[in-house]
Amino acid sequence: MMDATDRSLYADALRSATSEHTGRPLDAVLAELGWAEALTDDPRAAVEFLFENQGRVAHASEALAIVVDAAAGSCAGTGDVLALPRPGHSGQPGTLDGDGRLSLRAVALREPAADEQVVVICAHDESDVAVQVPASAVRVRALHGIDPDHELFELGTGPSGVEVDLAAAKLADWTSGLAAGRRAVAHELVGLSATMLALAREHALSRVQFGRPISGFQAVRHRLAETHVAVEGARAAADGAWDDCSPVSASMAKAVAGRNARVTMRHAQQVLAGMGFTYEHQFHRYLRRALLLDELLGSSRALTYELGVQILRTRRLPELLPL
Amino acid sequence: MELNEYRSGLDAWLDANAGELTPGEPSQAPLDDEVEQLSRVKKALWESGWGRFGWPEIAGGQGGSVVLRAYLGEALMTRRLVSPNAYSMAEFLAPSVISFADDELITRFVPPFLRGDVLWCQGFSEPATGSNLASLQCRASRSGANWVVQGQKVWTSYAQLAEHGVLLARTGSPDSRHEGISAFFIDMDWPGITIRPVRTMDGIEEFCEVFYEEVEIPAERMIGREGQGWEFAMSLLPLERSTSLWHRGAYLRRELVHFVETVPEDLVAPAALGQVVQQLFTLRARSRATQYRAGAGGVLGPETSVDKLLLVETEQAMFDVVLDGMADGVVLGDDREAERWRSEFMYSRASSIYGGSLEIQRNILAQRVLGLGRDR
Repeated sequence: MMDATDRSLYADALRSATSEHTGRPLDAVLAELGWAEALTDDPRAAVEFLFENQGRVAHASEALAIVVDAAAGSCAGTGDVLALPRPGHSGQPGTLDGDGRLSLRAVALREPAADEQVVVICAHDESDVAVQVPASAVRVRALHGIDPDHELFELGTGPSGVEVDLAAAKLADWTSGLAAGRRAVAHELVGLSATMLALAREHALSRVQFGRPISGFQAVRHRLAETHVAVEGARAAADGAWDDCSPVSASMAKAVAGRNARVTMRHAQQVLAGMGFTYEHQFHRYLRRALLLDELLGSSRALTYELGVQILRTRRLPELLPL
Repeated sequence: MELNEYRSGLDAWLDANAGELTPGEPSQAPLDDEVEQLSRVKKALWESGWGRFGWPEIAGGQGGSVVLRAYLGEALMTRRLVSPNAYSMAEFLAPSVISFADDELITRFVPPFLRGDVLWCQGFSEPATGSNLASLQCRASRSGANWVVQGQKVWTSYAQLAEHGVLLARTGSPDSRHEGISAFFIDMDWPGITIRPVRTMDGIEEFCEVFYEEVEIPAERMIGREGQGWEFAMSLLPLERSTSLWHRGAYLRRELVHFVETVPEDLVAPAALGQVVQQLFTLRARSRATQYRAGAGGVLGPETSVDKLLLVETEQAMFDVVLDGMADGVVLGDDREAERWRSEFMYSRASSIYGGSLEIQRNILAQRVLGLGRDR
């Protein structure tokens, strides 16, 4: 664990890294900073600082794959690419059939080079395993979608799948990997939401209508106050998910962060009005990223429905953060 | 004492004394039952020592973190030993009096309140002064060794059952706004005080109108200095959104546990239930952080309006789900369970009104947390 001084220095280093770089250059800087080692040493600090800051500037990195890999124990090396579920899905990214053939409909956060391995977590015999396939055996296609600034590559196999060496498969734990990934994305959504609120607040203070800044109008003030509650609620939930590190807390934190990012998006868009509807304002970058991240590793809608179904089935509430 | 030690000791004590502490059969007077039960539980806690943690020695306490009080209230709510409203009033009335009053007043009046001998009430709101507290008109004029109070308060919870009250009155000129307000500690049976309970839509006569006709208050009953009433109120209001808010969250959790155990499956939309549980998770995450911050000596301020707004959202969404799931009972039922859900649903409608309305909480956040300047 880091002490207070280390934490503060580390937070500063990550803040400047994330604000100056994005994509592969950010990955390179994170490697220089030893971020993956910090993740082992103090996972909470490493994840909170990086993902919230990455969200604040709507930059992107491969760090989410490192988080999921570390928690799932899938042991992807530096030259490997970890398959993640397609946005909107949260099951194991790959499927193994009885003959040990892998079918894959997943995404990666960077484009695998031809000589790299793709690491895929699959359900197998009541547990999970991580298998490796050469990138050359996988179909790779760049996805652009709503957020073209965020690199995302579709990984697929043909209908007959790809043969994998099951003897070399490692035991893995998708539930833990998924939970760790959801905590990270929750922090990133909080960062995005915090910036959307800050953009709307600055606009409200400077935009003059009817002879005064619109921040003087109660309709605008109350919208921003509600947005603040949404951001701080999501932040508390994301922090709270570290307390028991349980999958259900991670899922709740991710759902709250996604839903509250949408609330924030709606209020900020309305306050920014016409300005926020153009490419000349940066708001759209945050809206796009928030919509992508809400889908990644399970949308707020799906997670909320699943939670309700599970509670009605078991007739029990999850543990809700005892003192 | 550390929280974990306190938790296991208190839990064991509550288990061992469950027979003595469990409420008896309800009578026809639910409010009297509530107050009697509250007094019984607080006495037993005080005598055994478990109720003294988290309170300073001057008030008869054992010292220790306020987090212990948060846990105590939660443990009592979860076991249905007390209901949140009357129990939690001590969490904001007593600390404010301890912070502002002189030692004599504290040592004489606070311990009997904490050990359940007496109830206190809070005289802040007036008919013409709901959200706009600084404009209060209830007047206290100096007359020799006394102050003489003339005016009216409203929404004074438990005034008809309370022995004492904390009263805000104007000691400055009529236009002195927040600078001309002072706080007093009064006896509710003093001559000139008339109390009229108001029946609210949840069927309980918890709130009262209180009329003050030439009520004489000895000068030593002023809390703090003349003109310090606003400061007193501003220190009290964030406390309404800390320990007592955690207790209310514990009460909501208890009711939601009961609801999911008993509701017919086909009457609940899974997404709505899932969302309410996530909201409760969020409320508890936020309020829990506030408890630890207060426990570490942090000063609570306008940021606690976030906690209150999360509570409002959660409580009202939760009872909307309860209403749908228990519609048959809530709308048509006359049995005790149906009446309880109906009453709680009704009370949840007030959570966006009492203790600083939703609009006031948003104003506080806009001006004091987001720095949007004054409302025009």
